[in-house]
Amino acid sequence: MLELEKKDKEGWISIIAYDRRNTSVEYIDNRRGMKFSMAEEKEAANTQVSELSTTDLKEKDENTLNFLDSVDNYLILIESLTSTLRQGWLELASARHSMGGSRVNTSLLTLKHHSAATKVEVNYDNGGSITKSPQLTLCKWASSDKKDSSFEDENIDNKESTKESNGSETTASPIKTENHLQKERGKVLSMFGALVSPKLRASQLSFETALDTLVEIANVRSSILETHHALLQHKVKPTKSTEE
Amino acid sequence: MYGFEAMTFNIHGGYLEAIVRGHRSGLLTAADYNNLCQCETLDDIKMHLSATEYGPYLQNEPSPLHTTTIVEKCTLKLVDEYKHMLCQATEPLSTFLEYITYGHMIDNVVLIVTGTLHERDVQELLEKCHPLGMFDSIATLAVAQNMRELYRLVLVDTPLAPYFSECITSEDLDDMNIEIMRNTLYKAYLEDFYRFCQKLGGATAEIMSDLLAFEADRRAVNITINSIGTELTREDRRKLYSSFGLLYPYGHEELAICEDIDQVRGVMEKYPPYQPIFSKLSYGESQMLDKAFYEEEVKRLCLSFEQQFHYGVFFAYMRLREQEIRNLMWISECVAQNQKSRVHDSVVFIF
Repeated sequence: MLELEKKDKEGWISIIAYDRRNTSVEYIDNRRGMKFSMAEEKEAANTQVSELSTTDLKEKDENTLNFLDSVDNYLILIESLTSTLRQGWLELASARHSMGGSRVNTSLLTLKHHSAATKVEVNYDNGGSITKSPQLTLCKWASSDKKDSSFEDENIDNKESTKESNGSETTASPIKTENHLQKERGKVLSMFGALVSPKLRASQLSFETALDTLVEIANVRSSILETHHALLQHKVKPTKSTEE
Repeated sequence: MYGFEAMTFNIHGGYLEAIVRGHRSGLLTAADYNNLCQCETLDDIKMHLSATEYGPYLQNEPSPLHTTTIVEKCTLKLVDEYKHMLCQATEPLSTFLEYITYGHMIDNVVLIVTGTLHERDVQELLEKCHPLGMFDSIATLAVAQNMRELYRLVLVDTPLAPYFSECITSEDLDDMNIEIMRNTLYKAYLEDFYRFCQKLGGATAEIMSDLLAFEADRRAVNITINSIGTELTREDRRKLYSSFGLLYPYGHEELAICEDIDQVRGVMEKYPPYQPIFSKLSYGESQMLDKAFYEEEVKRLCLSFEQQFHYGVFFAYMRLREQEIRNLMWISECVAQNQKSRVHDSVVFIF
């Protein structure tokens, strides 16, 4: 055991003993007023460093996986959107072929003021997180002209349905929703006439599906940006710690 | 008297029958369609059509072409041929030729009225009208608020006036009223055309009765299928069916209460001429029904050319040209949308 006393330039550390056999060094840290052995500190430091690395790595891996999952979802959704739109356009052409060009053309689109049949809601509630992106939600067939009346109808229907048995109650609301959706779809298509070909209805459904996919794509994109930002932050952290 | 048309028909109708048979030989063949289906772009289609009778109508069109341009120019050719025949025709052939265009006139009236209801510019709507259905006071349709005004201000001086008696109301025009007006007018027109052909007698009456009956039956099926899931009541649906045809009256009674495509199939399969059409479709499917009906129509129209000395050839030729234009429209759309695998979904070969 070799005993030394050494201070660094600032006079903060003193070496007390050096054991060659197990290469441990015991010293006093004057700055902290502590005495401990180098081996322990090293082990402690190593343990601390390795603990930090494991957590950091886990988080990094999670973010990387999330990023890759989001990108994969994005690519799948883009492909789905492309095929849905192609199908929609072909069905529209098929409807024109069936009904005639004078019944399906742009000059029949109404220029009268009317509220949007479908709206996008942006939810900025990010749970206190600065980095969390807004979420988009599609509200389909929510015409504000019909909103109050349909809400009233729903209230009346709810009151009536509480008197009915449970079985009928559970089946009543999906049927009503389906009827409402059918009516709203028919209302929009009525600009081409009240009696339109099933091909035009199919085209409408395809474009409706495409709209759903577009909103999903927007949400996935914001998720990609979020995870990408998190990954970049991880990249910055290690460079700061190496500088220290 | 039936069977003696050969003695007198050629005096007034011989020249035009020869003309129309010459036009018929200019219809596109299966080889032409095969070439067109292999085109990569609309300019390729234009190049292939330049070797046909459509060549002069498309040659001056600049690139890039649009599908509506191709349809427009091909329709112009049909209109030119029709006008030539009409100006050469004497009675009763001239009246017969005018009857052929009343369907387009009804479509144009409905287009103007619907577009006006949607606050569209009249000039824009007039550009979309079918040229065969134009008449002088068509632009004045935009001022009418209800059907009574429509009739009083504009349609009283047109050939459609007699067809309005069943649908004159003072109700304001809306989408459902307009649709009912369209179908009521068309029903009245078909019945009037049918009566006119019956009055002509002979081979014209026989051949045109068959063709118009098929048209009436097809319309009944289309009205039924299109009205499934809409607000149109059974009674209103029943009123839109024509009062002649193979389905009249018992088939109409059954079609009026159909709630889905399978029930329609069940009704139609009882009639032998329509059984092969519906047997081609799978259950619940209605996509290929239009093509099946067009194929049957083309078969009947081509058969009308097998007999001479009747006016049915003029009607058949006009319908075959319209089918050809529909084919060209479909092929152009598939090429423009890069969906050539779907080209044969709706192309109906004439020869």
